[in-house]
Amino acid sequence: MTAASIGFETTAGYQRLGKIALLVLVLAVFSVAGIVLGSSDLPVQRVLLAIFGQGERTDTIIVWSLRMPRLLMAMLAGAALALAGLALQRATRNALAAPSVLGIADGAALGVMIFLFAFSNESNALTVSILWQPLAAACGAMVFALAVMILAVKTGATPLRIILYGVALGALAKAGVTLLMIDGPVHRASQAAMWLAGSVFQARWSDVSTLAIVLAILVPLTLLMARRMDQLQLDEQSAAATGLPVRTTQFMLFGLATCLTAAAVSFAGALGFVGLVAPHAARLMIGGRALWQAVAAALLGATMVVGADLVVRLAFSPLEVPAGAVTAIVGAPYFLFILLRAGRVNA
Amino acid sequence: MPRPGLSLGLVFLIVLLAAASLHLGVRFTPTGEVWRALTEGGDDQTALIVATLRLPRTLIAIVVGGALGLSGLLLQTSTRNALAEPGLLGINAGAGFAVVLLVVVLGEQSLSMMAVAACIGALACAALVFSLAISVGGMSSPSHLLLAGVTIAALLTSGIQIVIVADERTMEELLFWLSGGFADRDMRLLAIAAPASILIALASWRLAPMLDALLTDDSTAQALGVPVLRVRFFMLVLAAILAGVSIAVAGPVAFIGLAAPHLARFSGAQSHVRLVPLSILFGSVLALGADIAARFVIYPSEAPVGILLAIIGVPTLLYLLQRKRVGVDA
Repeated sequence: MTAASIGFETTAGYQRLGKIALLVLVLAVFSVAGIVLGSSDLPVQRVLLAIFGQGERTDTIIVWSLRMPRLLMAMLAGAALALAGLALQRATRNALAAPSVLGIADGAALGVMIFLFAFSNESNALTVSILWQPLAAACGAMVFALAVMILAVKTGATPLRIILYGVALGALAKAGVTLLMIDGPVHRASQAAMWLAGSVFQARWSDVSTLAIVLAILVPLTLLMARRMDQLQLDEQSAAATGLPVRTTQFMLFGLATCLTAAAVSFAGALGFVGLVAPHAARLMIGGRALWQAVAAALLGATMVVGADLVVRLAFSPLEVPAGAVTAIVGAPYFLFILLRAGRVNA
Repeated sequence: MPRPGLSLGLVFLIVLLAAASLHLGVRFTPTGEVWRALTEGGDDQTALIVATLRLPRTLIAIVVGGALGLSGLLLQTSTRNALAEPGLLGINAGAGFAVVLLVVVLGEQSLSMMAVAACIGALACAALVFSLAISVGGMSSPSHLLLAGVTIAALLTSGIQIVIVADERTMEELLFWLSGGFADRDMRLLAIAAPASILIALASWRLAPMLDALLTDDSTAQALGVPVLRVRFFMLVLAAILAGVSIAVAGPVAFIGLAAPHLARFSGAQSHVRLVPLSILFGSVLALGADIAARFVIYPSEAPVGILLAIIGVPTLLYLLQRKRVGVDA
C-alpha cells in the first residue's frame, strides 16, 4: 500500500492522524486513571516505583497483579469487540450489526458454558487446560454466526431482518446458557453469572497473555482486510466489478468477527454494545476509510471498556457491578439513536 | 367455518394438563392421594406438596398463560404487527425495572403495591417503545418496533443488574422473582390477577368486531364506524395491564404472548370473537405444558420455564421472520 492510498500527503490525512493521536491520548489518560484510582488511591510516583519493582510490597501487588491485568484485559477485550463489530457492519453493510446484536456473543457464551459443564469434575476443577476455553467459545460463536448467515442468505433477508434473526437465535443461546448455569456445578454458576454480564475484575496474567497472543494473529488479519472492506462499501455488482470476490470476502469477515468475538467473550464476557458503538462512533469521527476506522474503533472500544471498568470501580465499589452493564447503559441509547436515524433515512 | 370443537378440545386439554400437573413432580403422586389432598387437606407431606406447591403453580400457570396469550393478541392486532409480544417489546423489562426500583427505593412492599408498580412500569415502557417505533417507521414496521423493544429491554436489564448488585438486601428475593416462572409464587396475587384478566378478556371479546375492523387499514376501519385511535390506544393499555399483572404474579415470562395468538390463527380462526378465547386457551396450554416439562428436563432439579418457552418461541419467531410479508393478516 503506497502512502498516497492511505492519504498521508493531504491535510485530511494529517487531521486523521491528529484524531488518532487524540484517541490514544484519551485512552492513555483513562489507563493511568485505571491504575492510579481504586479502593486505595496510589499516587503516580508510587505507581511508577511499583511498576519498576522499586515500590513497597503492597503497592507492587496492587499494581502488578490486580490493576495491570484488569486494565490490559479491558483494553484488549474492548478493542477485539470493536473490530468484530466493524467487520460485521462491513460484511452485512448494516450499521446496526454487532456481535451481541447478531447473537454471536451469546453463542460464544454458550460454547464456554458447555465447555465448563463438560470438563469439570466433582470438585469444580477443570479436567483440561483452561487454554481450550477460547476454542470452545469460538465453536459456539461459529455455530450461531453460521446459523444467522444461512438464514440470511437462504431467505434473502433485508439488513434489518438479519438483525432480527440474530436477536432470535441469541434468545435461544441465552436459554441454553441459563439451563447450564442452573444444572451445572454450583460454584461455577455464580462465577459464570458475573462473567457473562461482562466484567474484567477477575483478570489474570495468564488470561491476558492468551488473549494477547490470539489478538496478535487476528488483528493484523483484520487490518489486512481493510482494502476489501472499502471495496465492499460499493453495491454488490460494482464491488464484484472491482475484482472483489464479494461472497468470499463477506464470509471471511464473518469468520474474523466470530473469532474476535469468541476471544473477547471467553475472557471478559459479553460487554454489551461495545461492538456496536465503537465502529459507528469511529466512522462519525474519522470517516469511512476502513483502515483508519478500524484503528479508531479499536481505540474507542478499548477506551469504552476501560472507562466502564473505572466507573464500576469508583461508583459502586466495593460491589462488583459488571462493566458490561455500564457499557450497555451507554450503548443502548446510542443504538436507538442509530435506529432512529436509519428509519428517517429509509422513510 | 366456526369450529366450537376446538375450544372445547382445548378446555379439555387444559383440564388434562392441570390434572397431570397435580400428579407429576419429583415424585409421582397417585390419583387417590391427590384427590384426598384436594378435598380433605391434611398435614402429611404428600398432601402439603399437592395443596401448597402443585395446586398454586397449576392455577397460576393457567391464569398467567391466558393473560399473556391475550396480551399478545391485543398487541398484535392494535399494532398490526405479527411480532408484537410483551417480552420482545421490552414491556416485561419495564415492569421488572419498576418493581426493582420500588423495592430498592422504598423498601419491602406489599404484594398489591408490587402489582401496581409492575402495571405502571409496563404501561410506561409500552408508551416509550411505541413512541420510539412511531417516530422511526410506524408501529406496523415489524423490524423497527422489535428493535426498539429489544434495545429498551437490554437497557432496562442492565439497569436492573446494577440496582440489584448495588442493594444486596433485596437481591435474593428479587432475583427469584425476576427469573420468571410459575412455581413457588404467591397465590394471593391471583385474587387481583384473575378478576382483572377475566374483565379484560370479556371487554376485548365484546369489542371483537372493532378489532376485526382494525385489521383492515385505518381509513376502512374509520369508515366502518370504529373510533380507530381510541380503540387502538385502549387495546394497548389493556395489553400492557395484562402483561403487568402477569409479571407481578409470575415474573417476566416471554414468548407465550407471541406463540399463543399465532397458534390460534393457524387453527383457522380469523374473527376476534374466536381469536380472543383461542389465544387465551392456547396461552394456558403452553404455560401448563412448559411448567410440567420444566420439572423433567433436568430431573431431579427444575429448569426455569422461560427456557422451555424459548425453545417453542424462537422457532415461531424465526418462522414469522422468514415469511415474505410480516402482517397480522396471514
